[in-house]
Amino acid sequence: MKPAALARLCAAIPLPTGVFLVAAGIYVILKLVRPVIPHSVILLYMGFVVLGLVIHVTLRDERMHRFAEFFVQTGAGQPRALRAQRLGLLAVLPLLFGWWVYDAYRPRYAPPVEIFQRHPTVGEEVLGRIAVPDWIAAAPAQWDAGFVSEGKKLYDANCAVCHGEKLDGQGVAAEGFRYPIRPANFQDPGTIAQLTLPYMYWRLTVGGIQNQFNSAMPRWVAPPDNPDVSTLHSYDMNGDEAWKVIAYLYRATGHEPRR
Amino acid sequence: MLEQSPAASARRAAMVLIASALPGLAVAQGVPPPLPDYAAPALMDSRLAVWMAAQLHLMFAAFVLAVPMFALFIEYLGWRTRKTDPAAARRHDWLAHEMASLLPVAYSLTAITGAALGFLLFTAYPRFMHYLTGVFGPTFIVYPLFFIAETLCLYFWYYGWQRMQGERKWLHLVLGLALNVFGTIVMFIADAWATFMMTPGGVDAQGRLVSLYDAVWNAGWMPLNVHRLIANITFGALLCSGYAAYRFLLAGTRAERALYDWMGYTGNLIALFTMLFLPFAGYYFGFELFAYSATYGVTLMGGVLSWLFIIQAIVIATLFIGAAYYSWLGLLRIPGSERQQAWSSVFNVLLIAGFMVWATPHTMAASLEESTGGFHPVLGALGVMAPKMIAVTLILVVLYGSYLLYRRAGKVITVPWGRTGERIQWSLVGVTALAITALGIYGYFAPAEVRIRTSIWQIIVLMGGIVATFILDQFLMRGARTVAEVQWGRMPGRGQYVLVALAVVIVWLMGLMGYARSGARLNWHVFGIMEDTSAGAGLPSLGEAALVITLITAIFFALLAVGFYISALARGDGAGAADLESAGLLAEGERA
Repeated sequence: MKPAALARLCAAIPLPTGVFLVAAGIYVILKLVRPVIPHSVILLYMGFVVLGLVIHVTLRDERMHRFAEFFVQTGAGQPRALRAQRLGLLAVLPLLFGWWVYDAYRPRYAPPVEIFQRHPTVGEEVLGRIAVPDWIAAAPAQWDAGFVSEGKKLYDANCAVCHGEKLDGQGVAAEGFRYPIRPANFQDPGTIAQLTLPYMYWRLTVGGIQNQFNSAMPRWVAPPDNPDVSTLHSYDMNGDEAWKVIAYLYRATGHEPRR
Repeated sequence: MLEQSPAASARRAAMVLIASALPGLAVAQGVPPPLPDYAAPALMDSRLAVWMAAQLHLMFAAFVLAVPMFALFIEYLGWRTRKTDPAAARRHDWLAHEMASLLPVAYSLTAITGAALGFLLFTAYPRFMHYLTGVFGPTFIVYPLFFIAETLCLYFWYYGWQRMQGERKWLHLVLGLALNVFGTIVMFIADAWATFMMTPGGVDAQGRLVSLYDAVWNAGWMPLNVHRLIANITFGALLCSGYAAYRFLLAGTRAERALYDWMGYTGNLIALFTMLFLPFAGYYFGFELFAYSATYGVTLMGGVLSWLFIIQAIVIATLFIGAAYYSWLGLLRIPGSERQQAWSSVFNVLLIAGFMVWATPHTMAASLEESTGGFHPVLGALGVMAPKMIAVTLILVVLYGSYLLYRRAGKVITVPWGRTGERIQWSLVGVTALAITALGIYGYFAPAEVRIRTSIWQIIVLMGGIVATFILDQFLMRGARTVAEVQWGRMPGRGQYVLVALAVVIVWLMGLMGYARSGARLNWHVFGIMEDTSAGAGLPSLGEAALVITLITAIFFALLAVGFYISALARGDGAGAADLESAGLLAEGERA
């Protein structure tokens, strides 16, 4: 269709119909994106879209009147298409609101949506006690290649099954975890690049499986003052080995720990 | 963890002195009894009581600190044109006085809520306040002195307004300047106490004072000073606009509507201008917090308080969109501005799209069916800092573009190089937007340190672009022919409701961010130095926090409404016929 013809078509569409079509169109597009966009985010986006449309309609008095008149004007001489649109919108909008209310309150068997925290909060009293070895506290370029190489071996043996050999969260066991979170993709700039070394050490050694952090990550180092801890994989690494794995994660992804 | 320092007894004496000087403090003279750790004087969770009192006090304090700043500036603008344009001088003087008229009662409410906060702090947290007084003893003595000086200046400035007109106007301006200086010092001192709790400096590992200077000038002090100075002006300006909108809607004459329309417009313009800098001031504060302790960064941005920032993003978006919408509606006051009005719809789309990116969460609240288990491959990329910085900086470009268009409404550029100048100007705006986007994309793939530097460059580019095009605009608009006057008072009613809504939104936002700033300390009175071991040391849920913030907002407006009502009783109804007639805002034949 030529632009002029498109402009004529747009001009011929009554304002409320146009507003409805824009909102519905954006909603459908958002719904079609794969992987699916969570409902909470679509709701957020649609809130902005509706706000934008309200602003558009109310920016001029003439537009506001045109919008309102569409719903109140009647007359036998009106084109049938116009009447059909008015009746259609007057029917569809209440039905949509009704559906949303019903959908929000209908019984569900799925677990409720949880607000997930990507990086669990840990107190300064914990992080402040973690001593970072001098060799890893130095600039990443100065890290001992031998330590990084040992880290790789440890990672491949213990971590790659979930986090993947390419550190992209695509390990062979990764498909077993989905809700609320898959194994982290360390290549993503939103993961280890955002974190400091003490936090990384804490996250690795405390894990999440028994710490209410909504993560299947086991703890990889048992604290020396808690020998009775029975979590899976405890004592599989000592503290030095954990630091080597951390060094490997940063070296292999090209990210640097946050200072 | 804490031990008595050698100067403890002197500080304790200072505390008793100050405490006895403050109303309602039950501290005995002489040797004080051993201090309990915690008490519940308000018969409720003390943390909640202090939270509400502190937030209310901060809101009133922000108002009384900010309004004199721009009221003085407006008064100065009027004084400057007293010879060349006496009508404009009178108009500006009226506006400054109208804004200042909100101050005396608000000042009393600041003092009342401050006294309540002091009472609660000293009685509910005696051990903590004993420690804080020990560190900041001298400032606790200096603070009331500046507070008294500020009070004197305020009352002389406001009540001496009519007496100090004409030849003595300069004295009035100096008084206003002194009021602002003292007010700013008062805020800076209080900021030192608040930021010491977050980023303590000047003390050793046991919390003993080593340097009072470093305790005051701790890592968070100057960023919070800057952030509060700017945010307070936004806050005060939007409250003044809300008040003007209320008066506009109740106005009985066109003349009165014209004046309050102008007042609302001025308030919104001041708010919009300061809002340009707010995201960066907030970022500077956050940056310093993260530099002080990474725990803050994780707590605020990825941890327990991270969802507050999604709410904040939505609320800030509402604020920006509302302010922009009001300014676009303002074009309806100017006949012949259809060309500019056409751009409003384009800017609307850009603004909405920008805020959709700005508010996109990195980690999404998803159901079992929706969860991808990791970051969303498309939207997840929008959830980190770099794209958000692009979005927010481009939003500011759009807002600035709206301002440039507004300046052109009803005017014809007459300089011979006008067409070329406009092309250069809009090209510069485009280049600024492109450079900001390119820097953001580069920062997205760079390490955190580089990303932070690129975000600073984005701000520099934005400011550079604004300054260059604004200077160019001054030359372009020089001698511009006015083809249509602004018809003050012709603003649609919906514009006024937007102003009232913005006033509510900014108060709620201030409550939200006040909670985030204070809550980020988690279980510490003084971060890393003095732990909060009281029963109420935990953080509330998001829902509970939102309810408390809403309650604080409602109480604030209730108190403010009572204050304004009392203020209106003293002044009588209406803006004063003489003021309105002399203000000269209306064209001939428009007076009702």
